[in-house]
Amino acid sequence: MNQEVTKLQELLARVKRNAALPRTLVSGLAPEPSASAYEPPTAAFSAPAYIPPASEITADEVFFDSEAPPPASVPTAIPPAPVAQAAIDASVDELLLEDPFPSVPPGPSYNDVLEDPLPAAAAGAQLDHEEDVSGVMSISEFSDEQPEELLEDDIVEMTATEAAALPMVTNPLDELSFEDVGLDDKQAAAPSEEEPPASSSRSKVAGTLDEALARAAEQIDLEEDREVPLKTPPPESGPQAAVAMPQGMHAPLAPDIEELLEADILPSAGVRAAVPTAEQVGQTVDLDEARGPSLELDHAETSSVEELEEAVASEELEVTLPGREFGGAYQADLMPPPEARQDLDAHRQRAEEAIAPPPESLAQYPSAVEAQPSGFAPVSAPSSVTTDSYSESVSTVTVDAPANAEFAPELLARPDIGPSPVAKFIRTEVPRPKTFLEMLDSSLSLGSD
Amino acid sequence: MSLNFDPSYALEFDFGRGQIRMANASERVIIPCDALLALCQGASEEAVRDFGRRLGTEAGRVMNDRLGEAWQASLETVLEHLGGELALMGLGSLGLERWGQALVLSFSHCPLGAAGDLLLGSVLEGAMQRSFGRDTVAIKLMRDDEKVRFLIAGYAGARKAGNWLAEGVPWGDVLSRLATRGAS
Repeated sequence: MNQEVTKLQELLARVKRNAALPRTLVSGLAPEPSASAYEPPTAAFSAPAYIPPASEITADEVFFDSEAPPPASVPTAIPPAPVAQAAIDASVDELLLEDPFPSVPPGPSYNDVLEDPLPAAAAGAQLDHEEDVSGVMSISEFSDEQPEELLEDDIVEMTATEAAALPMVTNPLDELSFEDVGLDDKQAAAPSEEEPPASSSRSKVAGTLDEALARAAEQIDLEEDREVPLKTPPPESGPQAAVAMPQGMHAPLAPDIEELLEADILPSAGVRAAVPTAEQVGQTVDLDEARGPSLELDHAETSSVEELEEAVASEELEVTLPGREFGGAYQADLMPPPEARQDLDAHRQRAEEAIAPPPESLAQYPSAVEAQPSGFAPVSAPSSVTTDSYSESVSTVTVDAPANAEFAPELLARPDIGPSPVAKFIRTEVPRPKTFLEMLDSSLSLGSD
Repeated sequence: MSLNFDPSYALEFDFGRGQIRMANASERVIIPCDALLALCQGASEEAVRDFGRRLGTEAGRVMNDRLGEAWQASLETVLEHLGGELALMGLGSLGLERWGQALVLSFSHCPLGAAGDLLLGSVLEGAMQRSFGRDTVAIKLMRDDEKVRFLIAGYAGARKAGNWLAEGVPWGDVLSRLATRGAS
């Protein structure tokens, strides 16, 4: 295990080192390929990035097959000879030793890098897939043709674990064929194992009519199940002429509103409208019976069509408001309801109790004097005391004294005074003097006692 | 005796001589009021009274001449003629009021103003003396912008009224008091 790890680390370091080397040098100094013995410049520089499909041959088939296929039937897979591998290593070392760019320090050689280089004999010995962990092969090894110059991105390295992880293909190399015969069967079986992405599926040409019909039926079922996303159509660029509708086609007519309203109002015919559904029954709440008296709305029966018309017409007529005689007036003979009489009596009693005693007048004795038990006989005041005056010019005040009052006030009325002159104006008649001299004499007499 | 006062030809202007004569009277001099007031204000009260009495005596004499028997003349006649004569002097319009027994004479539109009230009272006293032969005292009861009232009374009544007026008794109450006291 440790050895494998070490090898892998070494191999990784070598790959990195090789990747840093200039690639043009390898191609420029590469010897002319010969048909007899072709020496690839280096395995690291010529490894193609070729991933064989699952249906094609795998690395195991190519490298680890115990029985080498005949050369004629395998034009691209030729096991390398041990001598050739040694020559390759040697040529690589030579090439690496050369320094075409003196300014750039040359990279380390394979000998320097590989502390424990693989012996050429071991390299050229029997290859075992467990020992050969590099798995890097050049396409040139399988073909006599000169390989194409590949980029670094095209190089794919595969480890043994990756190679083991690849599905084993039972097809031997003998079965490889570039013909399409039999490939369709393999491809037909492939979707069952691994479903291809939807975007890469390509319809196949049906071989028979029955197969085509079956595919069409399957396609229809798929389209029905699949929801087509709604996409906004792209806007039209610029004005476009309206295309006349062909005969027999027309725009959908506006729906009849009345029919729609009737459809909304009227229940749908059939058993579904009359019978509630199971969900509705489950949500039904049972209401209690009405407690109050049963009320029935009596509809005025109209015996004839004329009465019905009159009733309808009366609803449209304006109602005449009551006249002024009803404004603010009430019927005087209305009596309170029997149940309100008791409340009214109680209210009146409370109001009588809440009445404050009348103010004392200066024209009467104070109530305290009357209340004193000084030998005066109690005054039995009448239940109703009036101070109405005989004169119309005097305002009247009437006070109803409570019957159960302990100290009834005594109200004294001022004695009546008949209308009499309050002031007397006496006009003195002075005789008018006949002459000025008389007037003068009378005036001169003023102030003389 | 005419009852109506006729001022026709009452003044005679003799331009040749430069004299102004009143009918049935002596020469007259027309002087400015301001000069007369200045003279009255500069003179003593007695001088003003004497000056005024002289003017009233002249007016009474003229009236007597017009009326003949002035003592039989009525109130209106005396007022008309005496007032006419005072008007010719330019002292204002004479008025007569009878407040009971009290005789009140008034002047309206007098150009002399309040400063000439003493002079006016003296004129009335002179006219009464000259026309009716009675010594009277004219007591000023009140004065406003247009009228000044004088009570024509004797000495006793004039003294009482003067005292009451000095005490601030309204002139109507003074007349009432004089009338009440006189009646009682």
